Amino acid sequence: MDELAAALKAATPQTRLLAGGTDLVRAVRRPGSEPDVIIDLTGLDELSYVRLDGETLRVGATTTFTELQSDPLVHEHALCLGLAAAQVGSAQIRNVGTIGGNIANASPCADGATALTALGAEVTTLDGAGTVRTRPLGELLLGPSQTSLAHDEAITEFSFSALGAAHRSAFAKIGSRTAVSVARLSAALVVRFDPAAGSLTDVRVALGAVGGAAFRAARLEQELQGRPVDEDTARLFAEGCVAAVQESIPGRYSLPYKRHAAVGLAYDAWNMLALVAPCEPAWV
Amino acid sequence: MQLLLTVNGLTHEVEVRPTARLLDVLRDELGLTGTKEGCAEGECGACTVLVDGKAVNSCVMLAVQARGKEILTVEGLAEHGELDLLQQKFVEYGAVQCGYCTPGMLMSAKALLMANPVPSEQDIRIALAGNLCRCTGYAAIVAAVKAASGHDATPAMVLPGEAEELAVEVATDPETLAIVEEVVEAAVAGLTEGTAPAPEAFPSPDAPAGPPGAPAAPSSEPPENADDAEGGD
Repeated sequence: MDELAAALKAATPQTRLLAGGTDLVRAVRRPGSEPDVIIDLTGLDELSYVRLDGETLRVGATTTFTELQSDPLVHEHALCLGLAAAQVGSAQIRNVGTIGGNIANASPCADGATALTALGAEVTTLDGAGTVRTRPLGELLLGPSQTSLAHDEAITEFSFSALGAAHRSAFAKIGSRTAVSVARLSAALVVRFDPAAGSLTDVRVALGAVGGAAFRAARLEQELQGRPVDEDTARLFAEGCVAAVQESIPGRYSLPYKRHAAVGLAYDAWNMLALVAPCEPAWV
Repeated sequence: MQLLLTVNGLTHEVEVRPTARLLDVLRDELGLTGTKEGCAEGECGACTVLVDGKAVNSCVMLAVQARGKEILTVEGLAEHGELDLLQQKFVEYGAVQCGYCTPGMLMSAKALLMANPVPSEQDIRIALAGNLCRCTGYAAIVAAVKAASGHDATPAMVLPGEAEELAVEVATDPETLAIVEEVVEAAVAGLTEGTAPAPEAFPSPDAPAGPPGAPAAPSSEPPENADDAEGGD
């Protein structure tokens, strides 16, 4: 990490950080966008990990999507992130693409951003002065290809509260085809089910590929709190997703399509809550 | 910059630009032109090679990223002049038409079989999802990979594909969707009545994919009219 800080210290605005390269290699080959220096983060084994630290799950920035989709801790404590990772690109892309690169690249349709937003992730960074800083993901993602990262600042870690046994989470996306597809719309859903009260608590809904960056549908989350698990709630969830899409991109040419797509997407995510983690008794 | 690259078991010292792609170095510096350039943006998979046993698109990887790693290209599949079993099956099943995607297909399939010697058809399709073919319609390719894999063992649950398999099932399989609806209904009914549904009510993730061991085509001989089966596009 000292080595990284030293490399970052010499960074200029033309310096690019390589965290896998599936987006960056194309970018640096465009005429006029040659970087002065490329700092390859993938050689740093210290940045590739998933570990449980008390009740916090910590994911290193250069953990690949292949690693995330097959990690037992991710399956147990952040399933929506594993599901999102499994649907990124192709096997070839998942083998080298990393969660840190996915976020730093700041594509509005980044699957990882939607999942991490639902998980309430914080981002830890290191800069050229050796300063370690942690901020909410929402403060880092500012818009399409825009982040609050300084030119000498690298993402080192994502951290969030590990989901417990009473939690369920899901990720769904809609693209132009079933596999190897860029999301036209994505959703991540986290819920906690309280068996005593028979109702949902801690509902979190994140939507991606609508607007500049993934966001939480706060009003919808409020509406779903305390609701029972039934068809009416599923419908309310779908309607809320449509409303959130509508508010996020009013007047956009893609709105008529995304309004409809949001319904199917919502049901995909909802159904997956039951499917991916069947256990007893009943739904939890 | 100087770079040591280990390709097909041989270590080469090459002089590369820092922004040179692995694909450029393999083809232009080492003369390994079996690896093809297609889209040049990580979509088509024609440039697929293995790095430390994992399939990667060599068009979106810098050569320096492969330093100190084992690279396997299509030229490294044949040993002592003898085609790899996978290559033999591609020939046998007519899984090649124009041939441009074939090296990439072979390498993605090789990575799959190295990690999972007895993949299900679903596993094969997921592993090849990043390799586009505009000629064959894929059926013969999937059959060839299946034929090159082990035949007797029962496919185990493979963690890496699991999440994606489930996601694909949910998105596409009406049978699964029907089961999901049933399960949710039963669970909701169970909640309101205070009784739990039997755990057997939950679908096995493997169930909708059909009998796992059953090959799409007889494995001992090439399928007849494999091309026609896909509608001859």
